[in-house]
Amino acid sequence: MLNQNTPILHIDHLQKNFGKFHALKNITFDIYPGEVFGFIGPNGAGKSTTIRTILGILRATGGRATIFGKDVFKDAVEIHKRIAYVPGDVYLWPNLTGGEIIDLFLKLGHSRHTEKTDQLIKLFQLDPTKKARTYSKGNRQKVALIAAFSTNADFYIFDEPTSGLDPLNEEVFQKEVLKLKQAGKAVLLSSHILSEVEKMCDNIGIIRNGEIVETGSLAQMRHLTRTTIKVQTRDQTPELSAMTGVHNVSFDNNNQILTMSVDSEHLESIMSYLTQKQIVSLQATLPTLEDLFLRYYDSSNGGTNNEQ
Amino acid sequence: MNSEKFQKTGFLTRFSFKRDWLRLSIWAVVLIGFFVGVAAKFTGLYGSKAAVDQIIKTLKTPAMVSLFGKMPAGPYTTADVFASKMTVFMAIIAAVMNFYFIIHNTRGEKESGILEMIQAHSVGRLANLAAALLEVFILNFGIGLIYAIGLQFANLTGTDTNGNFLLGLGLGAVGFMFATIAAVIAQLTDNSRSATIFSYLIFGIMYIARMVTDVTHPKYTWFVPMGWVEKFSTYKQNNWLPIWLMLGLSLIMVLLTFYLNSRRDIGSGMIATRPGKARASALLRGPISLFWRLNRVSIIVWFFGIMILGATYGSVFNTIGDILKTNPMFKQLLNTSAINAANLLIIKQFIAILLIVFAALALVPGINLINYLKTGENKGYLEIIHATPTSRLKLFCSVILLATITSVAVLFAGIYGLYAGGNAVMTHHLAWSIFLRGFLGYLAPLLIFLGISACLVGWLPKLTALNYGYLVVGFFVQYFGKLLKLPDWTKKITPFGFINQVPVKNFDVATFWFQIGIAVVLIIIGYIGYRRRDLIIN
Repeated sequence: MLNQNTPILHIDHLQKNFGKFHALKNITFDIYPGEVFGFIGPNGAGKSTTIRTILGILRATGGRATIFGKDVFKDAVEIHKRIAYVPGDVYLWPNLTGGEIIDLFLKLGHSRHTEKTDQLIKLFQLDPTKKARTYSKGNRQKVALIAAFSTNADFYIFDEPTSGLDPLNEEVFQKEVLKLKQAGKAVLLSSHILSEVEKMCDNIGIIRNGEIVETGSLAQMRHLTRTTIKVQTRDQTPELSAMTGVHNVSFDNNNQILTMSVDSEHLESIMSYLTQKQIVSLQATLPTLEDLFLRYYDSSNGGTNNEQ
Repeated sequence: MNSEKFQKTGFLTRFSFKRDWLRLSIWAVVLIGFFVGVAAKFTGLYGSKAAVDQIIKTLKTPAMVSLFGKMPAGPYTTADVFASKMTVFMAIIAAVMNFYFIIHNTRGEKESGILEMIQAHSVGRLANLAAALLEVFILNFGIGLIYAIGLQFANLTGTDTNGNFLLGLGLGAVGFMFATIAAVIAQLTDNSRSATIFSYLIFGIMYIARMVTDVTHPKYTWFVPMGWVEKFSTYKQNNWLPIWLMLGLSLIMVLLTFYLNSRRDIGSGMIATRPGKARASALLRGPISLFWRLNRVSIIVWFFGIMILGATYGSVFNTIGDILKTNPMFKQLLNTSAINAANLLIIKQFIAILLIVFAALALVPGINLINYLKTGENKGYLEIIHATPTSRLKLFCSVILLATITSVAVLFAGIYGLYAGGNAVMTHHLAWSIFLRGFLGYLAPLLIFLGISACLVGWLPKLTALNYGYLVVGFFVQYFGKLLKLPDWTKKITPFGFINQVPVKNFDVATFWFQIGIAVVLIIIGYIGYRRRDLIIN
C-alpha cells in the first residue's frame, strides 16, 4: 500500500532549456497519495513541458524529479509500470480502430482489456469499431482516457484531458477521477477549465513563464488574495478608503452600497471598523479560482502588482 | 465551370510557392544541376566519333534498352547518346518529384486540417486544387525551360535548338502528366499514404510496360504514356506529337480531378474507409507488431512490386544473353561453349546493374521505417507509448529490426524475381548461386545505410533526410559511373563501391564482415544518442 506521507511525485527545482530558451526555470511541488493536484497556467507557461519531463520524454537540464522515489529519466521504464497518462493532443494511428488502440495501450502497460474497459467504452459513448482517422478531437481523447482509466496505476497524469469533451463526458471524467482519489491514487490534472479544477482538486499549482508562482490548497490561496465586500452602513465611512488593505472603493448609483476589495489578512480590522458604523447589509464574495488565475496571469502588469 | 469556384486561386498559388520555396528550390537545383551538368560533361566523354560508336554499341544491347529506352535509327552523334541515356531516367525522377508535391499539397493538407481553415475563407471550392496543380505546372515548365536553355549552352555535337526545347519541355510535360495522374488518385483515396502507394503502383506498371515493349515491340510503347518520352526521337525526327499527347492526357486528368473533387466532401475519398475490429487481435501486442501493422500494406506492396520488377527484367534475359543477336560475327569466331560463357558474362553484368537498382529501392522502405522514430514523434503518435513501460531500447530495436527485415526481404524479392523470371525464358538454366552471391554481397551495404539512418535518428533527428541524399549519390555513382566515366574514387564514397562487383566477381567474405561490423557500430552509436536525447523535437 502507498504510504500517505511519502510523496508519489517529488519535483525539486526542475529546469529545462531548449537551446537558449528557458522553458522551465524553477518547478517545485509534490503530490501525495489520494491527492488530486491541479496544474494551471496560461498557454506556453510550461505545463506540458513539465509533464513530458516527469515522464522521461524530455531530459531535464537541472534540478531533480522523482516518481515513487525513482529518477524520472533513468528509471522511466520502472516508473511507467505504475502510471497512466493522457496527453493534451491525442494523435492516434489513422488506420487502426479506437478499440484496437485501447487494447494496444493496455497491453503496452502490461494490463488487459477487462469488464471495466467495456464499461468505460459505454460510459464515454465511444464507437470502438471506427478507424481513428474518422474520430474528432473529443473521441481521440476518449480513447486515451478509457485506456488510462482501465489501467490499474498508482499515479495518473492528465494533460488538459477534457478540452474536447462534451459536458456529459466531462462529468464521466470527473466521476472517474473521484473514484481514483477515493482509492488512494494520486492524480496530476493540468487544465484550463477552472471550474473543473476548483471542483476536483485538493491542491493547486500555478505556473507562469516556467516557474511555479503559487502552490497550496484553494483555501490557502484565497487567504493570499482579496475578498470582495458589498456593504451598507448607517454612518458615514470616510476613513475607509485610506485604511490599509482596502482597494477599489466605489459606490453604487444611490450612494448607498459601497463595494471594495479587502486583503484577506486585513479582513479582521476592516470588519471591526465597519461594525462600529452600524452595518445594514453585508455581502462577502470569496475570490474564485478565476480571480486568482487572472491575478497571477496578467503578465502585462508584471504579475506582481497585487503584492504591492 | 464558373469562376466563383476558382476564386483566390492566384493568391493560393503564390502562397504555395512561399510555403514550399525551399523544397521546390532543392528539387529544381538538383534536377537541373544533374541534367545540365551531365550535358556539359558529355562533349569531353563522347566527343569523338569512335567514342560515340563504342557507346552506341552498348546502348543498343537489349539490356541497355530495357534500362534506358530504345534508340532511334542512326547515324549517331554525341547529342543522340545524351538524349537516349537521359530521357527515361529524367522522366522517372520527374515522376518522383511530382508525386511528392501533388500528394503532399492536395492530400496531406486535408489530413493536417489546414485545408479546412483555408476553405472556411472566401476561396473557391476548387481553388486549392487548382493552386496545387498550377504550382506543379509552373515548376515543371520552369525546369523544362531551364533544361532547354542549359542544352543550348552545353552545345553538344549534333544538337539543334528544336531538339533542345523538345527534350527540355518534353521532360517538363511528362512531369506534369504524372502530377495530374497522382492528383486524380489523391481524390480517389482518403489519405496520403494510399495515394502515394497507388500512384507508384501505376507508375510501376507503366515502367514495366514500357520496358517490355521496348525490348520486344517498340511500336507498342506508344500505348504507354510513360513511353511517350522515348518517342520524341530527339535530334532525329524531333517529334512534338508526344508532348501534345501528354498535355492532352494531363488536361483530361485535370478535368477528372476537378470533377471528382466537386463531387465529394473534404477529407473523404471515393474509396471509403471501412469500420474495423472493436478489439485488437492477439498479434497486436507491442512495438514490432504495431509498426508491422502500420506498414504492412506498404511493405507487402514493396515486396511484390520489386519481385514483379525483378521477374520482368528476368524475362528479357533470353534477348539480353544472346550475344549473337547483337553481333552475328561471333558465330564464326567462337565455339558454342565460348559463346555460352560470353552470354553468361553479359547476363551477370546486367544483374550487377539491376542489383544496385534493387538495393536502392529496398532501402527506401527500410530508411522510412527507421525515420518513423522522428516522423511519428513529430506527429505525436508515439507520446502515449513513451508513457508506457516500453523502453527506448525496445522501440529503437523494434524499428531497426523491422527495417532490416523489410529491406533484406525486398532485396531478396527482387533477386528471386529476377532468378525466376530469367529461368522461365532461358534455355540454359542460370544457377541460383549466381543470384545468391549478389544477394549476400548487398546485405552488408544495406545494413550500413540503415545504420546511418539509425545514427541520424539518434543524434541529428532533424537531418534524417540526409541519408536519402547519400543513397541517391551511391545509386547514381554505381548506375551511371561507367557511362559517365567517373573517376574510381567516386565509387568508394558509399558502401556499394566496396563489394567486388557481385555477381560478376566472387562474394568477398572479409569485406562482408568488415561492413557488418561498421553497421553494428553505427546502430549502437545511434542508440546511445537516442537513449539520451529529448524525444520530442520542435
